[in-house]
Amino acid sequence: MDFLSPVMSGFGVVFQPENLLYCLLGVTLGMLVGVLPGLGPAATIAVLLPITYNIEPTAAIIMLAGIFYGAQYGGTITSVLLRLPGEASSVVTAIDGHELAKQGRAGTALGIAAIGSFIGGTVAIVALTFVAPLVAGFAIDFGPSEYTALALLGILLITTLGSGSRLKSVLMATVGLLLATVGQDPLEGAARLTFGVDPLLDGIDFVIVAMGLFGVAEILHNMESLRRPQPPAVKVDSVYPSRRDLGESKGAIARGSVLGFLLGILPGGGATMSSMVAYAVEKRAAKEPGKFGKGAVQGVAGPETANNAGATSSFIPLLTLGIPANATMAVMFGALLIQGITPGPTLVDEKPDLFWGVVNSMYVGNLLLLAMSMPLIGLFVRVLRVRAAILAPLTILITMIGVYTVRLSVFDMFLMVGLGVLGYLMKKAGFEPGPLVLAFVLGELLESSFRRSMRIFGGDLTGFLTQPITASLLALILLIVLAPWALRATRGKAPV
Amino acid sequence: MTTAGADGPATAETAGSASPDGDAEPGGAVAPPGYARRLNVVSALVTLVTGAVAAVLSWNLGVGTLAAPGAGLWPLVVGVAMVVVSALLVLRSRPRGDEEPFTKDAVTVAIAVASLLGYAVLFELVGFEVPTLALLVLWMKGLGRESWRVTAAVSVVATAVLYLLFITGLGVSLPHLIAL
Repeated sequence: MDFLSPVMSGFGVVFQPENLLYCLLGVTLGMLVGVLPGLGPAATIAVLLPITYNIEPTAAIIMLAGIFYGAQYGGTITSVLLRLPGEASSVVTAIDGHELAKQGRAGTALGIAAIGSFIGGTVAIVALTFVAPLVAGFAIDFGPSEYTALALLGILLITTLGSGSRLKSVLMATVGLLLATVGQDPLEGAARLTFGVDPLLDGIDFVIVAMGLFGVAEILHNMESLRRPQPPAVKVDSVYPSRRDLGESKGAIARGSVLGFLLGILPGGGATMSSMVAYAVEKRAAKEPGKFGKGAVQGVAGPETANNAGATSSFIPLLTLGIPANATMAVMFGALLIQGITPGPTLVDEKPDLFWGVVNSMYVGNLLLLAMSMPLIGLFVRVLRVRAAILAPLTILITMIGVYTVRLSVFDMFLMVGLGVLGYLMKKAGFEPGPLVLAFVLGELLESSFRRSMRIFGGDLTGFLTQPITASLLALILLIVLAPWALRATRGKAPV
Repeated sequence: MTTAGADGPATAETAGSASPDGDAEPGGAVAPPGYARRLNVVSALVTLVTGAVAAVLSWNLGVGTLAAPGAGLWPLVVGVAMVVVSALLVLRSRPRGDEEPFTKDAVTVAIAVASLLGYAVLFELVGFEVPTLALLVLWMKGLGRESWRVTAAVSVVATAVLYLLFITGLGVSLPHLIAL
């Protein structure tokens, strides 16, 4: 149990007053973001990136992490009360959660969701504590060829497992890779695709890409529905569930914790997929499947537990391999880079205070969120009444001024607005920004490890197959690419 | 991992069909099939041309050899991949259900974008206070149809808070008129 001593000293980091404050700030913001229409967690974290320049690294990451898992709690509220999922990961909660609300049991749904979220989140942190060092230890000897395969796998999985069309996602990933090449060549210094624009020589800053494609694009897209009528006021009954409700959701919470944790670790997985799979599992496991869609408590407990567990465990690939598992983690990756920290297998040994400080802050954060979602729920329900027409200019101004502060450059403002327009058009045409941003983040890693591998292998592409781990990863990639076609072919031939 | 890779899309699909209908998605009007198809073809053609231009420019940068890749090799690979995937999308342009039509609401977005460009132009010329106030008033009153009372109150308070947050709190040197 030797490795537990840095874990314990991580608690010392968490309980420094400044870090506690940022944790509180993060989870409160996360709750608000989850409740408010418009910005999701990826966008909010992106918008706040410039502000984190001025904060100490551990505190900054504690806050941003709080926004991420806090939003999983907040997203439930709009799903249940208004059937408007605040976050993609709460979409399935809306089905049974809103039915319960219609039956006057909104409080029960919210209470069960809060308890499930707390348990799922906490179980995932405990599991993360044991799994993360193992993964990091395994990956510590990875060389350029392994990283080439790993980065490819990460991009591929987010295009396959994400929502939306696969072909469109792959196309967006190539756009992200291309944008990543703009600027000086990392190895030789030649200017690439800059069209003679000097500010582009350093490449496009990740912060600008994330702020433009997530932040500005989402605000612009919301402008279309700026004058929609405000939702009616809603009353919430007692959020403390009865013994019977708790008994009914016990199994769902247990299954959701395990399922969410496992699916969250997968690159391309995370909170959204966890909640969807958990809903499907609960429906299958239920004694009375007919109740699903008509207000089954398990239909809320399962997915809400799983999305929190998945949100927490999706930190594992980021913090141990340096491969972000989903769009929000891609933005977290950027946040770490801003602080001069390159996430990867050495992080846990080289920066134990940061690593365990952030991980352990999640216990505190989940506890705070439980308090906000049960006794303080009334406050956040009232936030629902804030109008989009007031919120939109405030967020866009924080974004505009924020991007300026990074390099004191008006050019960056124009670039961000340009990327925002691109993101808006992508949304209209049905293209997800996630694969683009993730590919952009991994682009440089992919290129430099590919080029280094080619040098090592003396230009022989088959060199990749001589490395056992690389070859296995590549085989996995091939399998993922071919599996859907194979399935379709067999399905087509099989007599129905 | 293997099974999840193979089953993932299928499970997401089944769960997706159980999810609430399009009306739950704010601003989520779905484009009619013909419109959506044209939207997909146009998008794919734009990326196809972009990828082709990038590939040509990369080629000119010098691709080197596989053993010693030059600056242009990687962008060339990416550009070619982009062209291939775009071409596939042109051929398979059927609607995916997430395409949205451009309606008259898009005018609001165009005005918003123009105001942001104006904001960026004025920012260093006249300091951040005036453009910030103007943007708040335009978005709240002009685009959002809020009352004058709300607009005035929120604009003034928000400008003051942004000043305090960035200039006083974070100590960033924003161009500004009022010195505190």
